[in-house]
Amino acid sequence: MRQLLRAVIFGILGYLIGAILTWLIRGGSLGDEVCVVFGYVVGLIGWLFGIGMGDTWVREWFGLPAREFEVTGWKRYLGFSTDHKVIGVQYLATFVVVLLLGGLAAMIIRFELAQAGEGILNADRYNQVMSMHGILMVAVAVAAILGSFGNYLVPIMIGADDMAFPRLNAVTFWLIPPVAIGLLAAPTLGSFDAGWTAYPPLSIVNNGGQILFVLAVTTFGLSSILGGLNVITTIVTMRAPGMTWGRLPIFVWAAFAASMISLLTTQFFAASLILIAMDRVAGTVFFDGGAGGDPLLYQHLFWFYSHPAVYVMVLPGFGVVLETITHMSRKPLFAYKAVVVSLLSIAGLSVIVWAHHMFTSGMADYLHGPFMFASEMISVPTGVIFLSAVATMWRGKLWMKTPLFFAMIWVFQFLMGGVTGIFLADVVTDVSLHDSYFVVAHFHYTIMGGMLFAFLTGIFFWFPKITGRMINDRLGIIFALWLTIAFQLTFLPQFWLGTNGMNRRIADYPEQLEGANLMSSISAFVLGGSFLLLVYILLSAAIRGPKAGDNPWNASTLEWQVSSPPPEHNFSGQPTIVGHPYGYGTAGSRHAEFADMAAGGQAQPKQAGTGEGADDE
Amino acid sequence: MDQDRRNDWIWFGSLWAIFSAIGFYLVLGIDLLPAQWAHEAEIVDDAYILLMGLSIPIFAGVAAALLTSLLRFRVQVDDIPTEDGPPVHNNRNFVRLWVASTLILALMITVNPGFIGIAELRGEPSADIVVEVQAQRWSWKVNYENGAETFNQLYLPADRRVRFDITSLDLVHSFWIPGFRVKIDAVPGRVTHLYVTPEGVGSFEDDFNLRVQCAEICGLGHAQMAMPVTVLAPADFDAWVSDLAEGA
Repeated sequence: MRQLLRAVIFGILGYLIGAILTWLIRGGSLGDEVCVVFGYVVGLIGWLFGIGMGDTWVREWFGLPAREFEVTGWKRYLGFSTDHKVIGVQYLATFVVVLLLGGLAAMIIRFELAQAGEGILNADRYNQVMSMHGILMVAVAVAAILGSFGNYLVPIMIGADDMAFPRLNAVTFWLIPPVAIGLLAAPTLGSFDAGWTAYPPLSIVNNGGQILFVLAVTTFGLSSILGGLNVITTIVTMRAPGMTWGRLPIFVWAAFAASMISLLTTQFFAASLILIAMDRVAGTVFFDGGAGGDPLLYQHLFWFYSHPAVYVMVLPGFGVVLETITHMSRKPLFAYKAVVVSLLSIAGLSVIVWAHHMFTSGMADYLHGPFMFASEMISVPTGVIFLSAVATMWRGKLWMKTPLFFAMIWVFQFLMGGVTGIFLADVVTDVSLHDSYFVVAHFHYTIMGGMLFAFLTGIFFWFPKITGRMINDRLGIIFALWLTIAFQLTFLPQFWLGTNGMNRRIADYPEQLEGANLMSSISAFVLGGSFLLLVYILLSAAIRGPKAGDNPWNASTLEWQVSSPPPEHNFSGQPTIVGHPYGYGTAGSRHAEFADMAAGGQAQPKQAGTGEGADDE
Repeated sequence: MDQDRRNDWIWFGSLWAIFSAIGFYLVLGIDLLPAQWAHEAEIVDDAYILLMGLSIPIFAGVAAALLTSLLRFRVQVDDIPTEDGPPVHNNRNFVRLWVASTLILALMITVNPGFIGIAELRGEPSADIVVEVQAQRWSWKVNYENGAETFNQLYLPADRRVRFDITSLDLVHSFWIPGFRVKIDAVPGRVTHLYVTPEGVGSFEDDFNLRVQCAEICGLGHAQMAMPVTVLAPADFDAWVSDLAEGA
């Protein structure tokens, strides 16, 4: 608490110092974008210093011992904690809140679009709300699974006691609040209205809120890069004895592949945004076609990150869903090695498909073919993921609890997103469908269907582990059905709207399209309502759900072999990995042994002996 | 193969057939696409229908496998599951077959409607008439070959190949005619091209998709940045355009 208060004070002081110094040197007014830029940067440094970097690294740089705070209970979640489980929960709580905020913006959007003509919002306000919805949800999609489950589970799953860089991990999380503050403060400078893609020249000539967008999203990118670095280093260096690469749980592989993408491509997004900032405040003309710059340069840089980014969103989702399916079907994951190869191939292919977002941008025609080809190729590794999900369930013993229910719905949702994606990867159909509501429907199926449904799968699957309490399963299934049905009724009409002449990002549309829009809007409100049930389910379970026990799903991976919630350093003794993670159906198969059987390694029914017959061959 | 396993496949096959039939009925039976007003619209819609036709069996197959699993493989668990499924870790031949078929399918659609469709859609770089379009927040200015000029109105001759030379004076806009199924961005500092052969005589009053709609967000007036398109019979168009040029 003290750290948080100090961080806020240092942040505000930093902002004022940066802004006022710039103002004194340069004149003009304090609200000028240059002052905001320098204020933000100094404020960000002040914030990080206040939240805990000052107590740790900075003191050590000057030869002083790092200052430790003994904080216990719920206050840990409000401070600079280096425990990966605390950070995982911080991410989870933060992004559920951001998700609900973004959802609120979605409700306003659908309210406006329920009828043709101007409703509650004028066109300007609409663009601002739409842009806010876009960037908040993109942030949720990028960081929610990797930040929460990635942090919470990866170290436990590989038998480590924490991440490789615990302090860096804390910094990674505490970079998020300035992002939120930056974005939510944008209305004070006139908000931003260029969508989450922020194409110039619009993003250079619009209101001053755009500069806060640029600063906040660049900060978010920094957090992404540091998080990716940490996850990769952890997986490479912190695996328990015997945890070979071929024995990693599939979620760990998925987190690895996604982290590779964020580590290696986020810089391009940051670079493109910094160039925008320079065009805005430093008088450069990188994207000014009239002065020798090129607006298309931005689009190439932007999509070089932002297409791979959709795999940062969904690859961890693949991991969550496959993990859930194999445990809840009580069968080994089908074609483990092929899935690993697919995850890595998707990560590789993701960086050579970006220009399929630009088939109608006016870029050179000869680029269309190669990018179309590369985009179609992604369907091959993605197909393997579907095969694995379906074949793992085939003749399994499906325990139809909420997590498996959600995982199966995920398969349907992402299939819908994948199949409609073919129409957008194909140049001929994309020339018609690009920037239409077909695209809107498509990416809600892939991102909301592929990432959010996986996030929900993960929440329902690991909630007992994280909180030690069970979720009301009946309500969970009602929520799943409610959400899924409302989802179809919201987004299926949008495919039709797209093919029938409705373009995206508009506050108003031809009145002939009113019927489908009204249907989509009403369904969207029903969809939004389902999240109230989710909040109730989670809160009631956290407060008075029945005790979960250590291993309520009787699952085989390491996180289920420790208490719920896990002890501070995860394991009381060093676990040794002796077999395949998913030895279901093989008598005597087991994944891990514990040096200290008293604490972590309780009896594991049907999981004894060595894992030889279980390895994937 | 024992009876039980055979029944799984029978369930799967039946559901697949049913889902595919429903899918084909919906796609072919319902008018999903609006009226075509250009030769290019036929090419795009043919590609759309072909991709739909290929997607439906794939979609139906995965959906059938999901439903079969839900109906046939679920078990009642009282407290904690004790029974495991069969320890099948892999089936190499099946995976190979799956990868090979998805690869072949992906290559197939890359060729057609991919490359073949692109070639058809682009056609020869020659045109009967050239129309210059200038986008500026939030309106369109159109120049015809003989000096005629219209503002927020686009007139085109039917059955003639038109080349649009498109540019923008300020932001990135996008020139989209839903009834023609084509679009290209209007980029400041560049001239982009689009070839279209309108078919049929009609106007915005007949079909609201006969309009140029800006499809790239450009601020306040983005939604309203549209102009009606009127397709005239070639003779009518010639008369109209020369009248306009003389008047100007």
